[in-house]
Amino acid sequence: MNNLTTTRESRAGRTAAMGLMLLLAVYFLLPVYFLVVAATKPQGDLAATNGLVFSHFDLFENLHVLFTRSDGVFGRWALNTVVYAVLGAATGTLISALCGYALAKFRFRGREFLFSVILGGVLVPTTALALPLFLLFSATGLVNTYLAVFLPSIVSPFGVYLARIFAGASVPQELIESARLDGAGEFRTFFSVAFRLMTPALVTIFLFQFVAIWNNFFLPMVMLQKESLFPITLGLYEWNGQTARAPLLQESVITGSLVSILPVIVVFILLQRFWRTGLAAGSLK
Amino acid sequence: MSSTVTRTRVAVAAATAGIVVLAGCSSSGSSDNASAASCEPTKGKVTLQYWNTVPGMDKVVALWNKRHPDVQVETKNISNDQYGTLGNALKAGKAPDLAQVGYDELPNLRTQSAFVDASACTAAGAAKSKFVPWTWSQTSFGGTGVFAIPQDTGPMALYVRSDLFKKYGVAVPTTWDEYATAAEKLHKADPNLDMTFFDPNNAEWFNGLLWQNDARMYGYSGDKWQVTVDSAQSRQVAGYWQKLISEKVVRTDLAHGSTQMYAAYQKDRLATYVGAAWGYSMFRDNLPEQAGKWSIVPMPTWGANGSSGDWGGSTVAFMKGGRHLYESVEFNTWLNTDPDALAMENKLGGLYPAATAGLELPALKQGVPYYADEKIFDVFADASRKIDTSFSWGPTQKTVNLALQDAMAKAAAGDGSLTDALATAQSAALKSMKDQAIPATAGK
Repeated sequence: MNNLTTTRESRAGRTAAMGLMLLLAVYFLLPVYFLVVAATKPQGDLAATNGLVFSHFDLFENLHVLFTRSDGVFGRWALNTVVYAVLGAATGTLISALCGYALAKFRFRGREFLFSVILGGVLVPTTALALPLFLLFSATGLVNTYLAVFLPSIVSPFGVYLARIFAGASVPQELIESARLDGAGEFRTFFSVAFRLMTPALVTIFLFQFVAIWNNFFLPMVMLQKESLFPITLGLYEWNGQTARAPLLQESVITGSLVSILPVIVVFILLQRFWRTGLAAGSLK
Repeated sequence: MSSTVTRTRVAVAAATAGIVVLAGCSSSGSSDNASAASCEPTKGKVTLQYWNTVPGMDKVVALWNKRHPDVQVETKNISNDQYGTLGNALKAGKAPDLAQVGYDELPNLRTQSAFVDASACTAAGAAKSKFVPWTWSQTSFGGTGVFAIPQDTGPMALYVRSDLFKKYGVAVPTTWDEYATAAEKLHKADPNLDMTFFDPNNAEWFNGLLWQNDARMYGYSGDKWQVTVDSAQSRQVAGYWQKLISEKVVRTDLAHGSTQMYAAYQKDRLATYVGAAWGYSMFRDNLPEQAGKWSIVPMPTWGANGSSGDWGGSTVAFMKGGRHLYESVEFNTWLNTDPDALAMENKLGGLYPAATAGLELPALKQGVPYYADEKIFDVFADASRKIDTSFSWGPTQKTVNLALQDAMAKAAAGDGSLTDALATAQSAALKSMKDQAIPATAGK
């Protein structure tokens, strides 16, 4: 008797939870769905037809226009974004790993203070740093170069935090000691032993950085003037500002937006396994 | 959605403002420019900065750069925050040599001494005869100097769904009286069909209508601005549209250029569009299925007055701080009078030229397939010649436009009338000028 009620309750609870999640899924996926639909339409159908229903399927034509417009500048922007995001995230992850490992495994004066300062850095939004950075870069003549976007992108206080927690938890001190006893130098120990044990956390850091740089808009907007250095986000913003004079740009902005989110989705799906392992890593410490 | 966008824009604008202002402070103080500019050619290679909002302008400039290795021009597109970017750069003393400025923004920037008078360069003054008269009178401020070269204009005309007019047996109107009658007839024939829309948040458009009726918003005499925003002529225009709104034969719920606006046209809910020359591509590209159904006819007139109005258009201004005035004039006149340049600007950027030679471009002499192969640009060229040359903008035009829009939006919602909106705009004009210590009085 008692047993039965429990089951019934839990089934109702499960259904409710599933229903809620389904609702949320629809809520979050609807804009993506709209984007897919809109990217397949010719400009004339954007206003004339229902936004959530397919009309003419012009996706390939739209892609062709997108990649050939203004001498293929969109391809250039896409390449820039890939360079900024992949190189930036890779370098950023390496630096975070080194810092985190050092903070976790070496005892030195001011260690906790340093860590607190870095933790404080997590709280400062990158947008707030764009202005001071602009002034710094302006004084050093780096504004309007690749470095202006690349250098700030490789810094990740959150990555350092995550790497420290994970290094502390997953790299046993004994292992490091034995590596040292075997005659490995500190860098050798790090790259051959610690680095591998930290992989799940590093993938997480890489993903975080990758997505952050990929979607970064404000920093490039502040730093860059030359169109040939723009990432996709900034390029699409510039096109969008011109739609009043060149209406056909609107469709290219939409198709370009769809193209720009695909790599993020792919990277996410590919690295999802590691991501899940890593996400919980810091939570218990 | 739209409020989020606005908020982001404001935030972005504020932040960029911060940057440029700070950058201005950190730089070691800009040099003081003499107000009377001289016009000497620079020796050696020169690089000019030119900021604009025109799609494809980099291509036009590339053509110039190829032909003039010694005067290289760099462009920057500032379409997302044109006047914010310019204003910040001016404050920081980092303005470009040349910048795109709308006609209605010229007086405001001039009061802030943003421009250089290029009249010392003979080529600048000589360009006068090459432009549609009203444009030159605005860039020279009635012949007191050469502060900018006209680039494009927006002569107004009436876009008409000729198929709907034919279907309901209504004649295409040639005067505003006929326009009102036709509106009534069409609305009676099909209650879902309205004559057009009145966007209360588009003062620029409404100003074009005022311009058409010789309702000059400002004058200048006795060392004072004469504010005549609220005049007999402007009240005639406002009263007319108020009547159409009250009779519910025009819609007030559509924003110009919005998806909703196109959807209304697409569903045959609107019969006409009171627009400018640059608007022809909006319909062609957003409503391809209505090809052949549209024609463009001259603006309905106010009785015997055959004038047209202008909506939009821009100039390329000589900005304060530019160090190569001679070369700037050279480039600026080429950019806005050379047939090759004009043809590219028209093709890539959709500009309707301010240069009289531009009106003769082959592309503007042909029939346009979307408009049933009619030579629509003949209509605009004709309108362009019939625009009042004495109309001028005020030094606080933006503030006045905002006040006008607020009041027009209230009127559209049934609170007050469009005529009241003019009175509101008039006092906003006087107050804003007084706040900036610009001598002004209510004119007649």
